[in-house]
Amino acid sequence: MATGGSLEEIAEEDALRVHWYSLLGKLLGAPPDQATLDQLRRLSGDQSEIGEAIAALAAAAAKSDPKGLDREYFDLFIGVGHGELVPYGSYYLTGFLHEKPLANLRQDMRRHGIARADDVSEPEDHIASVCEMMAGLISGAFGAPSDLAAQREFFDRHVGCWAPRFFEDLEAARSAAFYMPVGTIGRLFMAIELQGFEMAA
Amino acid sequence: MKKDEAQSLDRRAFLCKSGFGLGAAGAVAAMVAREAGATETELATGGKGYTETAHVRKYYELARF
Repeated sequence: MATGGSLEEIAEEDALRVHWYSLLGKLLGAPPDQATLDQLRRLSGDQSEIGEAIAALAAAAAKSDPKGLDREYFDLFIGVGHGELVPYGSYYLTGFLHEKPLANLRQDMRRHGIARADDVSEPEDHIASVCEMMAGLISGAFGAPSDLAAQREFFDRHVGCWAPRFFEDLEAARSAAFYMPVGTIGRLFMAIELQGFEMAA
Repeated sequence: MKKDEAQSLDRRAFLCKSGFGLGAAGAVAAMVAREAGATETELATGGKGYTETAHVRKYYELARF
């Protein structure tokens, strides 16, 4: 996980953002194992819309098992040919994989000192990858933590322009049971992120 | 107080008091911390477990001596 930076050195609100980006990256990068499910089921939320989504995730984790989740993950994101969803920025932005948005992302990754992990074969604009990148830019896992302006630029170019639509699709996907509240949390988190960036502008 | 300091405090309050900051924040932090801790151990021992979730890493300039 791209959380290698020292979280003590960044502000409380930024550590919070790193944690949620990391969690989204983890859950969307691979189906969760039993240890992760055991931790998720202990989460609780307040009465807000976000709190209710977190409670729904905890309830979904309690009802899920790794074998069923392997299947759900496959149906949603991999499939035969492709899954119910195609979780890549280039696809969302152009209708095709490996288009210009991926080239732009690779360029910006290089600039920020980010490389694809050696054993990963899928394109870098996977939703889990860009969540990990945001976490790492905020925490400083790839070098010095990026300032808010740089975070926002990366967010606008590679996350904010498609991930909100992806999370809405995930929330509504036929195959999504465990992943439905993940979609809700992602959608709400994107809205909070955008509003947070606006406040600093 | 300067304008940008006030903005930064507003933003902190906004994020920390959102549903993402209240209640669940500690538990999520613990999950992520455990993950990061495991990653360091696995890295130290040459284990591969962490690569199941890590899609990206720091770019190492191979040409540098």
